[in-house]
Amino acid sequence: MFTRQNLITYLVALLIILTLNFLLPRMMPGNPIIAIYGDVALIQMSPELEAELTERFSLDQSLGRQFVSYWVALFQGDLGYSYAYNAPVTEVIFGRLPWTLLLAGLALIISTILGIVLGIESGWRRGRKFDGSLLTGMVALSGFPDFLLGILLLLLFAVNLQLLPLFGAENAYSDLSGFQRLVDIGKHLLLPLVTLVLARVGGGYLLTRNAMIGELKEPYILLARAKGLKQGTIRYRHAGRNSLLPIMTRTGILLGLMVTGVLFVEVVFSYPGIGLTTYEALTYRDYPLLQSLLLVSALCVLTVNFIADLLYAKVDPRVNYAR
Amino acid sequence: MHVDPKREVVQSKGGRIGMALLLIVFFLAIFAPLLSAYEPLAQTTQIFAAPSWDHPLGTNHVGQDIWSQLVYAARTSLLVGLLVAVFSTVLSALIGTSAALIGGVYDRIVMRLVDAFIIIPIIILLILLSVYFSPNLSDGSLIGIGVSIIIAVVGISLYAVRNLGWVGIFIVCPVIALVLLSRDIIPSTGGLIIILSLLCWQGGARIVRAQALSLKENTYISAARGFGASIWYIMRRHIIPDLGPLLVADFVFCVRRAVFLQAGLAFIGIGDPNIVSWGSMISDAREWIFLDVWRWWLLPAGIALSVTIVAVTLIGYALEPALDPRLKGEISAQN
Amino acid sequence: MLKIEELKVSFEGEHVLQGINLEAQAGECIAVIGESGAGKTTLGLSTMRLLNGNVSGKIYLGNTEILALSEEEIRRIRWNRVAMAFQNAQNRLNPTHRILDQVAEPMIAHRYGDKAQAKERAVEILKEAGLASAKFHHHPHQLSAGEQQRVLIAMALINDPEILILDEPISSLDAGSRMEMITFLKRAIRGRTVLVMTHDISTAARLASGVATLYGGRIVELGPTSAVLSHPCHPYTRALLRSYPNMTTTKDLQGIKGRMDRLVTGCAFHPRCTQAIPICQKQIPALVKHDGWLVACHRGGIISALSVNKLSKSFGQLKAVAGVSLTLEHGETLALVGQSGCGKTTLARMIAGILKPDKGDMWLETGKSEQKGKDYHRTVQLVFQNPGEALSHRLTVIESVREPLEIQGVGTKAERDEISRRVIEEVELPNTDKFLDEYPHHLSGGELQRVNIARALVLNPQVLIADEPTAFLDSSIQAKVLKLLMNLQENRGLSMLFITHDIAVARKISDRIAVMQKGRIVEQGSTSQVITSPSHSYTRKLLNAAAELHSGDEDKTMPIISSET
Repeated sequence: MFTRQNLITYLVALLIILTLNFLLPRMMPGNPIIAIYGDVALIQMSPELEAELTERFSLDQSLGRQFVSYWVALFQGDLGYSYAYNAPVTEVIFGRLPWTLLLAGLALIISTILGIVLGIESGWRRGRKFDGSLLTGMVALSGFPDFLLGILLLLLFAVNLQLLPLFGAENAYSDLSGFQRLVDIGKHLLLPLVTLVLARVGGGYLLTRNAMIGELKEPYILLARAKGLKQGTIRYRHAGRNSLLPIMTRTGILLGLMVTGVLFVEVVFSYPGIGLTTYEALTYRDYPLLQSLLLVSALCVLTVNFIADLLYAKVDPRVNYAR
Repeated sequence: MHVDPKREVVQSKGGRIGMALLLIVFFLAIFAPLLSAYEPLAQTTQIFAAPSWDHPLGTNHVGQDIWSQLVYAARTSLLVGLLVAVFSTVLSALIGTSAALIGGVYDRIVMRLVDAFIIIPIIILLILLSVYFSPNLSDGSLIGIGVSIIIAVVGISLYAVRNLGWVGIFIVCPVIALVLLSRDIIPSTGGLIIILSLLCWQGGARIVRAQALSLKENTYISAARGFGASIWYIMRRHIIPDLGPLLVADFVFCVRRAVFLQAGLAFIGIGDPNIVSWGSMISDAREWIFLDVWRWWLLPAGIALSVTIVAVTLIGYALEPALDPRLKGEISAQN
Repeated sequence: MLKIEELKVSFEGEHVLQGINLEAQAGECIAVIGESGAGKTTLGLSTMRLLNGNVSGKIYLGNTEILALSEEEIRRIRWNRVAMAFQNAQNRLNPTHRILDQVAEPMIAHRYGDKAQAKERAVEILKEAGLASAKFHHHPHQLSAGEQQRVLIAMALINDPEILILDEPISSLDAGSRMEMITFLKRAIRGRTVLVMTHDISTAARLASGVATLYGGRIVELGPTSAVLSHPCHPYTRALLRSYPNMTTTKDLQGIKGRMDRLVTGCAFHPRCTQAIPICQKQIPALVKHDGWLVACHRGGIISALSVNKLSKSFGQLKAVAGVSLTLEHGETLALVGQSGCGKTTLARMIAGILKPDKGDMWLETGKSEQKGKDYHRTVQLVFQNPGEALSHRLTVIESVREPLEIQGVGTKAERDEISRRVIEEVELPNTDKFLDEYPHHLSGGELQRVNIARALVLNPQVLIADEPTAFLDSSIQAKVLKLLMNLQENRGLSMLFITHDIAVARKISDRIAVMQKGRIVEQGSTSQVITSPSHSYTRKLLNAAAELHSGDEDKTMPIISSET
């Protein structure tokens, strides 16, 4: 539910991030340019470029003035220049972002739906074999960090069985197009997707299962049975639907963290998305890129949470009255 | 809300399994020198050696004994997990209760901060902060960290012993042993521990505040106020003790998150490369997955990490009724 | 039609229903009454096979025996041939579905119409049930409890079921809405076979043609509504009626001693019953026909504790008692009302076995009796009018109370003491040595009367005759003593013959009244009946002269009642 409280929270979050973004490099001792551009700068930068950058970032002026020009640059969409990739940061980020959105988006959708369905079915059969084994499996699964799962899958399918490609989002050297290209992308997408789904499904499953167990005890379930409704109807339209709230809340949060949550998996599979970019920027100490990545992710989070909040009330009318 | 932590863990099957597994890991960590023949970082010329009596899990790409690395890495994970949880729980207890008791503007500011931090993607923040703050700390901060660790550990030990009885002693001894034995890695991981704590206390603070708010309404609190008690007295004497079970549950979940995060960060190369941890082992092993060596390098490290996390998770699930008594008997997913 | 045969239901070892036999003809409405926890809802749910426990027996909906059907077959029957209007509870209606959708759902699910038709029909029914149309698209929590109940009832009717089960249909409605709902229900149940489960007897009275009393998992009485409610056969039904506040009954509310206990052997009611005999503990009574309807009681329903037949006594020329016939039923209070000199006390003394009648006979529960012998006095006891005179001034309290035990040779000295002390506590007197050693002249009127009562109770009589017990007491003490007598009756299951000149008191304390004038009984009947519509002029005179708290508008002259009238 969109309230003024939420808005303030989001703004505060944004401010914290942006301010940190600004402060951190300037808090380090030594030449700010090195702090911003890293050691790479020492090697690659010419004195003219250095002078130009100093002027652009107002580095020779007071902290206050710098703060102002920081914001000015932000609003102009100038995020700086990446030395690791030798391109403007904006180009790098927005070139990679779609891949991450594809992977993370699909993973989120699939793991949420899977979590819901498995949670409902498990809750319905609570205590029986289906539930027992599924629950044990999910708990065991939750112990594996996503990068570990990824490596194991990679080992099994790509290295040993050689069924699927080892890295990348698509085969960079061929010029496939149309359907063939889709298939190629699909093959590259499969393992990282499966990894993410396996890593995420447990949480949603447990939430739904718990909610389901609670709902099945409610009086309206007896009424639904009395009405002669089919079991499937009772399970999904009645109990299932009312069990959605916790997982929806969680999905909302995950949506926001979608972009950053895939970092480890992208690294493992060398999948060219934002996560891998972050890792590489880290390795190369490409600070402008890192800072901008933080900014972009933060914006992503805020926008998404906004929308999610608006959608909650539609899913479960009890939300409005619980607040 | 009267949930007895030790009873909850002992009574649940998952809890018992979790405790058993965790004990094994602790055992490995504490008795690492006795269990391993080599120094974990000592390089030999035998690279990629297959498992043998001499090297139970073989050697890695620079000839280090994998088994030794495995057991010493346990120290890293447990230490980071425990210390982060200690600081984080203390912070959430203090901030949560003070927000509830003081109320007003202070409360509103704190809550907005908490919400904001929860929304921010932790990974990015961690990466940024870890990058900008070098792993090696100055002497001053070292002493500071050392002192705070001692205070926090002693404080929590006293609490555990007083409230959890013999189980408390059972828990506290391995923890103190571990901290003492691992003090060599504290300087380098100290920074990481502090940063992780600063990012982990928010979740607990919210729950603590909610509970403190409801406790605050109790008449005996008003009575104490009537006797002129200060906020700090009420916090110390009345509220925090009642929060016990909740803090214990929060502590365990914090350990889990910290172990997860430390492993992940080590995996992408953040942290002191001279310290061995399962995350870094997995990261190194990954480069050599084409060779057979993954079987005794990647897999054991991965299993060790997963087993530890599952153990803590199980204990945490057993303690969940402390957070929400309606969940008695059910596993849920807080994190 | 609906037929239930030997239905037994148990959950986890607890036997909720222990052999129910019930039959409702097509178009008939039967009410099942009983206290909460009796098993009414379980019975209702069993007709739709919605129970999770162990169920045995047979249930026939028309010709179909439903306990033998497959899950799919019974699913199809549910809500079509038999539907239930559930008792309202929190989250009885699905909180996230709109009202109209929920009501239309069963019609769509069973394919009686498409979505549009179902919604139309739902609107129709909800309107009939009295729900404002603005609420049709709301969610349940936006409706009041009463509105939710209407929705539940409307929902039950949507597929036009032949058999309808109503579970406490008006309990969550306020008084104003109840009448409305009853009117609606009367229309709605026409032509259907209906079971109404309720603890509210007026609902049963208004809706049902037959009523069944459920106690301890069994039906203990089953008969036509008007007959059972005006003259219940089973002691439990009578006790239910007594404890139910309504405008008809004039007697003060009385509870039922003890609590329902399912683990009792034999008849489930026997620990609380006033007329239990040894077989009641051993054997479960069957539901058999008795006097026109079915009762489950080894004694065939409420029996009379005492009946006198044409009792007469004259003192010389004066006919004190001229052919009096009376029946005192087990566990009831019969008030004998009349002015002084009408013969009440003579009658009382004859019944107590102190005075020998000239003519007529008396029957106790055990058979014809000779009104004498020690056994008789153990069964019938008399509390005298004037407590001061009734107690010997030479005996202390404890000695007076103990006297009957000594006369009858009951137990050892220690036991007699023990019994006496307990009874003295029962009449709310202090059980202290100091008090027990007091002599009568040190006690107040109220205390004396209590000692009197204690003494009368010490032999554990079945019949207690109270002869104007409050005549010599202040009115504030009178109230206490009367309450004491009613409590004693409730706790001990006494059958009480209460003699008084004050019809106002009789009204509050008795189940039945007999009006006596000049040695004859001129009118007798149930108290509420006699008070509201007296048939004899003398009764009417007594009523007019009775104490009232408001002054009438018209100038009311007090009619003078003399012994000449």
